[in-house]
Amino acid sequence: MKTAHAALFAIIAASVSPGAQQAPSAPTPGESPYRAAARLPVRITSFAVEPTSIQPGQSVTLSWAVENPTSTSIDPLGRVAPRGRRTLTPGVTTTYTLAVTGAGNTADKRTVTVVVAGTMPGASPSDASAAGGKRAAPRTADGRPDFSGVYGYGAGPGGRGAPPPPTAGGLPATPTLKPGAEKYKVVRAADDTGQYSTCMPPGIPQTFFVPYYIQIVQAPKHIVVAHEYLNLFRIIPTDGRPHPADPDPSWMGNPVARWEGDTLVVDSIGFNDKTEINGYRHTEALHVVERFSRPDFDTLQYEATIEDPNVFAGPWVIRRTFPFLQEYDQINEFVCENNRDYKPLFGNK
Amino acid sequence: MKNTLVLCIAMLGLLSAAGPALAHHSTAMYDMASPVTVTGTVKRFEWTNPHAFIFIDVKDDKGNTVEWEIELMSLNHLRSYGWVRDTVKAGDQISCTGGRAKSGAASMISAMIKLPDGREIKS
Repeated sequence: MKTAHAALFAIIAASVSPGAQQAPSAPTPGESPYRAAARLPVRITSFAVEPTSIQPGQSVTLSWAVENPTSTSIDPLGRVAPRGRRTLTPGVTTTYTLAVTGAGNTADKRTVTVVVAGTMPGASPSDASAAGGKRAAPRTADGRPDFSGVYGYGAGPGGRGAPPPPTAGGLPATPTLKPGAEKYKVVRAADDTGQYSTCMPPGIPQTFFVPYYIQIVQAPKHIVVAHEYLNLFRIIPTDGRPHPADPDPSWMGNPVARWEGDTLVVDSIGFNDKTEINGYRHTEALHVVERFSRPDFDTLQYEATIEDPNVFAGPWVIRRTFPFLQEYDQINEFVCENNRDYKPLFGNK
Repeated sequence: MKNTLVLCIAMLGLLSAAGPALAHHSTAMYDMASPVTVTGTVKRFEWTNPHAFIFIDVKDDKGNTVEWEIELMSLNHLRSYGWVRDTVKAGDQISCTGGRAKSGAASMISAMIKLPDGREIKS
């Protein structure tokens, strides 16, 4: 081990040229490299439109690339992904402004203009979300709240952003083990890299709590909840039908849903006993009731009430809010093709 | 006990706002408290989930070439930092800053990478 460290320091010494200045992003002694990386400034690496002048009715292609952003938007299009291309047909001469923000209040801005022959620059209609104030959630033709769209990572206790309001109904946000159920508390060996490192489905509700996007597709009698993580999905009937009799135990459970006003209530049973919830295993008697609501255009509110009479003294609840991401219209493929056995990297004797 | 605590902290880091959003596994197998920077020439870039990997040739103090395995985040995170599948290419000279495997193997997880033109990007 000592030899290995000596070799490493030699490599570092060899890799840093004498007198080289440390970048501001370099970790200070003892600092997490991730914390240091969070200081990297945002920058625009390209922003272009082709062609730059057109006849009325013709199209242009706008393309952009940004690095280390915390937010990326193009006026008048609204929020966009850090990289993209979009075909547009501006009716009048239009200036597009790419604006980005990043760590430590760093920011960058560039503009491109498309001249449309015979027209004057038009007033640029600003993105409604930038105009201030909360927009109402959209509704489907049958008057239900429309949850369709891509959502970002959850906020809440241990999550990102502002936590959701306190638990309604007085249910605790942490579980209490039933007497004698201590064996269900997860105790890990030091070289156990956790429930997610096996690439097996995390189950419900934990699949909502990994930092990957979620996509909801809503149809009149079903709602599809798809997770980028492992490309897990549930096709949930929303017509109020009961559970099938004695469903086979499964990783994601058997869900059925009903509407309670503007809240979609998803009731799931039929889970296997192979997943964990917040550090606890459970049995096949697990029962999860999820409540989805969209209090405004930009927010999906999520609540999961968890019961397992073999494990917990009573029901408890996990709540999160997920931001609507207008800049994405589809989650990505995720195949766990390059997973590793990390145990050798611990170097345990 | 200490190791368990470290693991717990790493798992908390998984979800904390300021910490690494390491999505798929804890960083307990890497020494994150003593960050290292390793510079070398890219041999191969595996643009894959659950994590991307870069393999680089690094010269040690005796002039020997050692292949290092550099682990990056998963593709969704890399895309959000501005990465695409050819952000690094075979032959590129890059510097990777992160935590080395506790075993001492030529293996690390990288939090940021300096590209051939000097741009630094989260990884």
